[in-house]
Amino acid sequence: MSREVTSFYVRTSALDPAGQVASSIFELTSWMTWIFGAVFVLVMVLVIIGVFGKRQEIPPNSEGESKFIVGLGVIFPTVVLTGLLILTLSLTGAIQPTSEEPTIKVTGYMWWWEVSYPQHGIVTANEIYIPVGERIQIEVASVDVIHSLWVPSLAGKMDLIPGLKNRIVFEASEPGVYRGQCAEFCGLAHAQMSLHVVALEPAAYARWLEQKKSAREELSAAPPSAGLEVFKKVGCAECHSIGKLPALGNVGPDLTHVGSRVSLGAGTVLNNKGNLMGWISNPQALKPGNKMPRSFLSSHELHVLSDYLLSLK
Amino acid sequence: MNVADNTRKNFEKVWTAPVGWGDWFASVNNQPYGARFMSASFIFFSLAGIIALIMRIQLAVPDNNFIGPKVYNELFTMHGSTMMYLVLLPFLEGFAIFLLPAILGSREMAFPRMSAFSFWVFFSGGLVFFSGFLFDAVPDAGWFVYPPLSSSKYSGLGLDFLLVGLGFIEIAGVGAGIEIVATILKFRAPGMSLGKMPLFAWAWLVTGFMIIFAFATLFGATVLIELDRAAGTSFFDPERGGLPLLWQHLFWFFGHPDVYIMFIPATGMVSMILPAFARRPLAGYTWVAGAILVTGFMSFGLWVHHMFTTGMPALSMSFFVAASLVIVLASATQVFAWIATIWRRRPIIKSPMLFILGFLAIFVLGGLTGVMVAVLPFDLQSHDTYFVVAHFHYVLIGGVVFPILAALHYWMPLMMGKMLNEQMAKWSFWLIFVGFNLAFFPMHISGLKGMARRVYTYPESLGIGWLNMLSTIASFIVAIGFICVAWNVYWSWRKGPKAPRNPWSSGSLEWSHDVDMPNYVNLKPPVIYSRDPLWESPEEIKRNERWELISSELEAMPDRFRATLITDVVTGEPQAVQKVAGPSYLPVLTALALLITSIATLLQSYLVAIAGLVATIIAAIQWLWPSDPELEELEKSPLVQKTGLTVEPTGSASSSWWAMAGLLAVIGTIFGVLYYSYFYLRLYSEAWPQDGIAKPDYLRPLGFYISVVLACILFKFAGRAQRRNRLNSALGFGGASLAFLAIGLLGLIGMSMSAPFSHQVNAYGSSFHVTLWHLAALVFAACGFVAVAIVRLLKSSQKLLRGYVTLQMEITGMFLSFTAAVAILGYLILFMSPTLL
Repeated sequence: MSREVTSFYVRTSALDPAGQVASSIFELTSWMTWIFGAVFVLVMVLVIIGVFGKRQEIPPNSEGESKFIVGLGVIFPTVVLTGLLILTLSLTGAIQPTSEEPTIKVTGYMWWWEVSYPQHGIVTANEIYIPVGERIQIEVASVDVIHSLWVPSLAGKMDLIPGLKNRIVFEASEPGVYRGQCAEFCGLAHAQMSLHVVALEPAAYARWLEQKKSAREELSAAPPSAGLEVFKKVGCAECHSIGKLPALGNVGPDLTHVGSRVSLGAGTVLNNKGNLMGWISNPQALKPGNKMPRSFLSSHELHVLSDYLLSLK
Repeated sequence: MNVADNTRKNFEKVWTAPVGWGDWFASVNNQPYGARFMSASFIFFSLAGIIALIMRIQLAVPDNNFIGPKVYNELFTMHGSTMMYLVLLPFLEGFAIFLLPAILGSREMAFPRMSAFSFWVFFSGGLVFFSGFLFDAVPDAGWFVYPPLSSSKYSGLGLDFLLVGLGFIEIAGVGAGIEIVATILKFRAPGMSLGKMPLFAWAWLVTGFMIIFAFATLFGATVLIELDRAAGTSFFDPERGGLPLLWQHLFWFFGHPDVYIMFIPATGMVSMILPAFARRPLAGYTWVAGAILVTGFMSFGLWVHHMFTTGMPALSMSFFVAASLVIVLASATQVFAWIATIWRRRPIIKSPMLFILGFLAIFVLGGLTGVMVAVLPFDLQSHDTYFVVAHFHYVLIGGVVFPILAALHYWMPLMMGKMLNEQMAKWSFWLIFVGFNLAFFPMHISGLKGMARRVYTYPESLGIGWLNMLSTIASFIVAIGFICVAWNVYWSWRKGPKAPRNPWSSGSLEWSHDVDMPNYVNLKPPVIYSRDPLWESPEEIKRNERWELISSELEAMPDRFRATLITDVVTGEPQAVQKVAGPSYLPVLTALALLITSIATLLQSYLVAIAGLVATIIAAIQWLWPSDPELEELEKSPLVQKTGLTVEPTGSASSSWWAMAGLLAVIGTIFGVLYYSYFYLRLYSEAWPQDGIAKPDYLRPLGFYISVVLACILFKFAGRAQRRNRLNSALGFGGASLAFLAIGLLGLIGMSMSAPFSHQVNAYGSSFHVTLWHLAALVFAACGFVAVAIVRLLKSSQKLLRGYVTLQMEITGMFLSFTAAVAILGYLILFMSPTLL
């Protein structure tokens, strides 16, 4: 975790917007809540007057009756809804992604997110770092089933559909950590497929990019370590890549920067040594259904491996 | 004993449902089948309700591990599928089948054996659904079964149980849909023009049409997805050129109308019940009927608003936003018509009325949140969250279950002969109403605060623990309320006081009956002069002599077989006396054979499956086999002589014509699904045919398509010969028609077998082959119809000019013309379009 965001609380709610896109939707939500709340009260008042009001003989099929039905049932909603439609169309245009080159690509896997920065050669997982004050174009895709990327405090959601490339815009107006969640049912561990967006001041973001780039290069130049040996020996490398050491199959997240992540298991637990050791020994206990099998390491191996992984910033 | 008494006795005997254990299965009367639909769906409702409570316990506190993700995913799939497919619509259909003859002033539903068949097939479908629990193969991909998650790569046998059960339910659905439409259009009392038809019938007329098109679409789509799973086709597999989004289009083209398919009948009930308690006719009858029609049409143009987050172009989505807002006007019109009905009338607040007031409150709120989720930017936030869960439970429980409860309390005196206990009814209302709002209102907030749908748990940091705890506690209050309803129905049925005639002083026709409605409903067809016949003052009526004559002649007549009056679709002018089917084992046996076939296929016992299939075909042939209608003697009876009505209606006067029209609408829709899929896949493919497959040669198959068209033309000549009483020529043309159909059938099979690419190679291959298979099945069915027509000609060789022979030729001709049209279209699409377009 970068030092810039050590004191934070995670923002998780569409009612707690932190950027232009989410704020404009929130504003629309408030408007609609007030207007429709008023409409609801109006209709209920009419029902109550209708039921409990003083009895009055109104001849059936009178002209007044038709006026009542057409006026309240057709004309009144037409006026309200036309206004709403205009508002909707203008807002829809304003929050649409553009066709600019995307700066970040998010790919859905059962049940985690690969996050890559194609211009910088950075690949990480389950955390999206963005600079504040910028509209970030994100391209989303999926390798297996449909997922949906939803970070309520920053934007609405967009589906990750195999065979398609969709776009979503993230914009954070203040630094912070924002929780996201897969919103399209994607199988066993759908509930535990979450992620974090970390918004940094532009300067801090630039430093973050630099650090990640150099970390990847340093890693390939680094001498072999005991941790890496365990990593290779017990089979981690079959599913996970580290630096220039590629995995055999693209099943688990790239671990080049795993030590700097906020969480483990796509938002399942906080990333610290205790949790990491727990995760490595029995991931199914923390996140039932995920594709990582149990491992049977000696306590020594577990410590060495965890220390090594946590050193990968 | 005089003649009249004797007639009456015969008449009653003809209409009596057979008694005895085995005979229970042979009965086809509408009332027991209405009750069976309702009872079965109540059982499924209880199961789905228990499932819901287990889910609520799991969600009561954050990070809970009560049942874990696997079971939770299975349970939410079963809860949603059961409530959508096995509970709401079947319960409503039960009401319709039970009450429509009484409301329309007829004696039966149009196709009694079809009601029975629909019920058994529906019930079998429910059993298949739930039998997954026995084989530890519970479906777990959601009621919407989105591919790729629902493909064989990611989902196991459980999904096949769901899809096969679904197939059953779709067949039952379209069967009931066709029957209900035909009944409402043809089986009405003399004088009941469309403008005097009760709104219950208006609602079901529109709903019936919607069921036909929506469920046929789902059926076509279910076949495609099951072929993807079982036969390796690639309609939805992105790795072989298929498109997961194609399924979403097809599913929601069914799914959105499906919501209105449940809501519209509920509004029909409300429009019947409110006037009774306001003691006046419904305000704005025409506006309400118009609103129902608009809702029915518009509901097919909204499906994309379930797909706002799939990345479609903003412009096309905006169109669907606008359409979604327009349909609000139709619902608003109905709501204000209801308010106008009770306006300053001091309505009597009895339990049915209470449930209606509860309905108004909950439905209006659910409707308003519906407008919110139709607003695209807001939907981007609320889609697939608990906000939507709250919204549709408001609409479905408020908008459908509350009217059903109102209807149950309102019509129970007529359906069961007993009044429900009013005190208990009020308790159940308040428990359900308060519990419901406490359970579901908080979900609006938990959704916006970040709770996604279909999650088995959520982290404490979302701060929604207390909202969920509230929902869980309140869900048990709702459950207690429903137990009260069930107890009330049971107790009143066993021990309740007998209901008086027309206990609510309603104005509609069904209340003219004594509380124990006889099987034949109307001994004598009622004559209709106004919308609320029981409220009209007799001296104001200008009586129609012909209608009154027909009505009195039909009193307890005919007495040799079951029959009822059929009337003109628009005016309600009497047209003919229509024979309707009596007791038969065929419906239940056909359904059973179908059930055995499917279960055996699922469990891969292919020998049993083949035996089941053969049994199904034999039962179907037995069912369609032309029988001697024994109508001759009626011709000389006073009934026919005096009234001038025929007993052998032909053309669109006959209900069989409407059944055929309905069947063709279903098949046409299924082909619509295939042809839509073909072009949708093409639209999103870089090359078409995909993967360098050569464009098909359009000359070689042409002959086979021409022979199908020739068969259709030849059969027209056969019909002409029959109408001129020329047996040999009719048989000759009929035989030639059959021969040409056989050539076409062989050609279609040959085209599929000789194609240089398989159905598994890519989406193009799948689309090509599967369309050919469907065409072959259609031509095969056409062969069956022609063969049956030939048998009819042979059996009636001495009576070639009789109406029922003409009718058989007419409906067979309809099927052939349709087959030829679909085949031509298939040829143009499969063989010409790759070259020309």
